[in-house]
Order: sequence, then structure tokens, then C-alpha cells
Amino acid sequence: MLLQHVVNAISLGGIYALLALGLAIVFSIVGLINFAHGELMTIAGYTTLGALLFGVPFPAAVLLAIATTAVAAMAMERIAFRPMRGASVTSLLLTSFAVSALLKVIFQNGLSARPQPLAMPQWMTGSYQVGNVAIGVGPTISIVISVVALVGLELFLRRTVTGTAMRAAAEDFPVVRLMGIAAGRVIATAFALSGVLAGIAALLWVAQRASVDPLMGAVPVVKAFIATVVGGLGSLPGAVVGGLLLGAIEIGLDAVLPPSVVPYRDAFVLSGVILILLFRPQGVIPAATVRRG
Amino acid sequence: MGKSVRRMSVVAGAIALALGGCGSKHDDSTIVIGVVTAQTGVLASYDQPSLAGFRMSIDEINARGGLGGKHPVKLLVRDTRSDTATTAAAAQELVDEGAKIMITPCDADPSIVAGQVTQPAGVPTLTFCGSSPILPGAVGDMMFTTYPTDNLQAAALAKHAYETGLRKVYLLVSPDTTYTSGLPEYFGKVFTNLGGTVVGKGSFSMNQPDFSVAVTTIRNLKEQPDLIMTAAYEPDFPAFVRQLRAAGVTTPVFGADALGTPTIAGLGELANGVVFTSAGCATPGSKLEAFNQQFNKVTGHLPSSAYEVNGYEIGLLLDAAVKSATSMSGPAIRDALDNLENFEAVTGTITYRGTQRIPVRSVALLRYEGGKAQCLQSVTPAASEIPAPL
Repeated sequence: MLLQHVVNAISLGGIYALLALGLAIVFSIVGLINFAHGELMTIAGYTTLGALLFGVPFPAAVLLAIATTAVAAMAMERIAFRPMRGASVTSLLLTSFAVSALLKVIFQNGLSARPQPLAMPQWMTGSYQVGNVAIGVGPTISIVISVVALVGLELFLRRTVTGTAMRAAAEDFPVVRLMGIAAGRVIATAFALSGVLAGIAALLWVAQRASVDPLMGAVPVVKAFIATVVGGLGSLPGAVVGGLLLGAIEIGLDAVLPPSVVPYRDAFVLSGVILILLFRPQGVIPAATVRRG
Repeated sequence: MGKSVRRMSVVAGAIALALGGCGSKHDDSTIVIGVVTAQTGVLASYDQPSLAGFRMSIDEINARGGLGGKHPVKLLVRDTRSDTATTAAAAQELVDEGAKIMITPCDADPSIVAGQVTQPAGVPTLTFCGSSPILPGAVGDMMFTTYPTDNLQAAALAKHAYETGLRKVYLLVSPDTTYTSGLPEYFGKVFTNLGGTVVGKGSFSMNQPDFSVAVTTIRNLKEQPDLIMTAAYEPDFPAFVRQLRAAGVTTPVFGADALGTPTIAGLGELANGVVFTSAGCATPGSKLEAFNQQFNKVTGHLPSSAYEVNGYEIGLLLDAAVKSATSMSGPAIRDALDNLENFEAVTGTITYRGTQRIPVRSVALLRYEGGKAQCLQSVTPAASEIPAPL
């Protein structure tokens, strides 16, 4: 039973980590907490649904969904956030809320207010035995994909020029621009990456909930925001740690709290978050940034 | 000049007469019905079909001359976006615009806030498919439920479960709404009274798709249940059943009326064996089947659930009430509705007389097989079998 809970915690934490990382990449470079990140997940969900309805094979539908989400994230930056470049954190935050609200209404009125069932392939819904405990295939896939995505991102950031530029931009953007790196490209790449991460997270999320609806991004984006704050706003390793920590705290409390208290779990989670921030106000792994007076 | 003015006024008067005195008729005999329901947001899955059925019946009634044959209906529809505060504001707006009757969303909370506006204004208020039995009592004598209530549904389900040989139940509740918290509790009460046992109880938070702990707990119960009962609905129910089956738990799941939607049917194999309730069952030759065909003809698609017919029946109920009401005042319509007895609707008979504004009507039980809902039976639990509202 403990092993099952651990697997569940890593699986949920992995999804949160992917989401938090998407928020953190964008925040580290443009100082924007993108609350429309959840709607990127919704776009991924509907793209998968649409592709499957048109008879596209599952692997292709998944790739298409991730690609569409990346493009959507870049379009979001181009249309909504680029005109706001250099604006205050508050203005950017409000813009992202506006984008989020607008997209939700478009999904509700343009597609359907009802959740649409989205069946993942049969092989994803089984379970296998390890000793005498049954481990779900879904959570396992979720963990594997989270790890692969995180390692892939790390390699991209360490081994490519754009990646290096992005890491540098997160610490000191003006200097990166002085080095002759185009700001637009770094920012667009950051959004595209956040889109890819949102797309992957959305597929894992949808695999759990078996349906897609216009408001499905609302809860995860809040979780991701909590995770990035806990981890350290703008810090990429922090986002991963924050996500895993949040998943572990949630599952842990679910397992430990008596059933009558479980529905108030989020109050405990948020109290825990406040506690962590009291001791580490910059988050668990603070972002390394150069501050100029 | 004076002459031409007089002539013009005569002409104007003639035109007004020729138009059939629309203006004056509108003032005297038209009844304004306010509809504050969720056409977007989480409740839209229930309020959209309900409104489609209600509109159909109002159109038919208007074609016959209006409610009671002589009071044409003007519908004022507002979308509450499934937001409780918006519901209150919209209800106030419509009362100010002269709504004589109010229709509220398929949920107790927004219906109660709307009721707090309509109750003092003396506007009879009916919830589309809000099924909490405490709803009319919580608001006052203007508030009516129309759908089979939670305790009635739970009684029918528990009886069916016991009669099919199931003895041990696990209840999964969420305190987030009266529906998700109350219905399983009612089920537990009736089931224990019949001789069954509740082997465990878990809870969940709505809109949080992670059920891993609940599922792990159920898997590891020492005493395995024969069935799991929950009033979770979309998007929570698909997530729960998906994760339950993925963990290899094959225990049958019982749910309630909110599972009668295309979303749940669309789960296909995953929903196999799920038993749920409905206002009616369209057996061949039944009135409900005829309604479904007619609905198809009018709207171009078959009803997606039983909420369409329930919305339609609300129109019929109002028609009957207005017919027997002593005047067109809110309280008079309320009294007439409150006195309806054995009213022949589409799904069966509906009685309000002596029921504290909670209809006595039958409950249909259905089961999903291969993405299709199949009728099991229609049950009318005796009054003694229905647990008192919590």
C-alpha cells in the first residue's frame, strides 16, 4: 500500500513538475506568470480529441497535440504578450488572466460547455504486479514521460546554443542581448517549450480524468503556480522540486487524513506552503538572478 | 393642421386595432417566465438539455394560446455561467423585469440564492433538476423541486442493489455539494435498513481528478465491497471510474441521475455495469419514447438525457397550474401548483399535493452496457422507504 502511494505521489508530482516548469521557463525570461497556461492544456486536450475523431492514429494524435500546443503558446506570446513587453509584472499577470478568460469562453461557446469523453487506449488503463502490489500502467507511463521530458529539457538547456542563451537570459537578459542573441527568438523558444510541457502534462492529466472540457485547465494551473512559488519563482530546478513536493504532500495528506477531513486537504496543503515560505521566502531552490540597482 | 393631427391619430388607432391590440394583450395576459440557468460552466451539462425541453413545451403551449390556453408566455433567459453570485444577480434582474415565474439551475446552491430573491417577491420558483430534498424547505413556500429528489433516487437504488443480492457497499462522498454528500448518505441509510452494511466511506474534492488514494484505499479494504456508491458526476466520475478500473478493481459502481449524459455514455466499456437513475425510461411504445421522437423532429437531435423531458414536463406542470389558478398572481399560481395531484406527465404521474413541494413520482433505474443506457426497472418507493431529508 505504501509503495502504491509512493508511485501515485511521484506520478501526480511529475505532472505538476511539468506544468510548473512550463510556468517557470516563461517567468524566468519575461517575468510573466502565465495563467493562460491551463488553457494551453485545454488546447492539447481538444486537439487530441479532434485528431482521434478524425481517425488519426493515437501516437500521431499525441504528437499533433503537443505540436499544436507549442504553436498556440507561441501565438499567445505573439498576439497577447509581445505588445506588453516591458510592462510591469502586474500588467502581464492581468493580461494572462484576460487571455485565459477569453479562451475559456471561446471553448465554451465555440466547442461545447459539456465535457467530452476522451478514451485513452486500452493498454494504458491496466495494471501490473510488483511483488504483491499492483501498479497502474497509467501512473508508470506518467512517471516515465515526466522523467524523459525533464531530462530532455535539461539536455536542451545544457547542450544547445539556444538553451544556453535561455539559461543565461533567465539570469541576466540584458547581457544576453548584448551578446548578439535575438531577444525575440529566446522568448519565442521559451513559450514554445512551455507549450510542449503543457501539452505533455495535458495528455497525462487527460489520461487520468478520461474527459476534456473547457475549464479543465483551471485547477492544474493553480497547482503549477503553487509549485513554482514553493520551488522558487523563476527557478527551473525549483519548479521540478516544487511540483514533486506538492504531489507528495497532496497524496500524503489524502492517505493520512481521516476521510471526514480529506475534503479540506487543500487548506492543509496551503498551510504547508505558507510554512515553507516562512522559512524559505525565496522558495526551496531560489532563482539565481542578477539584480541591478 | 388640427384636423390632420386628429386624422393621424385615428389612423394610428386603426393600425393599433389592426395589429390585434398586441400592446394591451401583452400587458394583461402575457406571463413572463424568468429562466436563470447555467448555459455555460460546470452545470451546463444539465441546464442546457433542461432548457431545450422547457423551450419546446413553451413553444407548444404558446401555439395553443399560452398557459391555460390564454396566457402567452414570454421567456427571459439569462446565463448564470454556473456562478452562484451571478445567479442571484440575474434572478433579481428578471424579477425587476416582471418575471411571474422563475426557473433556476439544476443544483441546490444557486437555486437557494435565486429563491432568496423570488421568495419575498412572491414568485413561484422551480428548479430544473436540482434534486436536493432540503431545497424547498431551505427557501420557503415559493420553491418547488421537479426532479426525483436525492433521497427518493437513493431509496430506489438501494432497493435495487439489495434485491439483486448486493450486501456490502462502499460510499464515496464529497461535501462540496448537497448532491454529492447527501445522496450516498441516503443510500447508506436505506441499504442498512434493508439489511446491507456499509463497509467503508471515502471522500473526494470535486474538480480534482486525482483519485489515486481513494482507489488505493478501496483496493486494500479488508472487507471488499459488493458495490461502490457515489454521486460524483463529470468531470469527476470519469476520472474516478477510469482510475478504479485501471487499478484492476471490478466492483460494480452505482451512481445517480447526473450520470445520464452523453459524456458518461461516451466512456464506453469503462462505464459498463454502472447503474444510475433517471426521471424516466423510454421503453418502446411509452409516452417518453414518443416525446423523444417529437424532440428529435423539433430540434434535429434526440434528447441527450432525461433532463430534456423534465424541462418539458415543467412546462406542462405550469400549464396545468395556471389553468386551475384563481388568478394570475404569484401566490395563486403557487397554490395551484401545490395542489396538483396525479398529474399525467410524460414519464408518469406527478403529485405535489401534500408533499411539501417535492414531487412524488417514479424513478427509473438504468445500466450502461457498451456505451448504451439500458432500462432495468421503474420504481416508486413507498413513503416509508424514503429517508427523511438530512
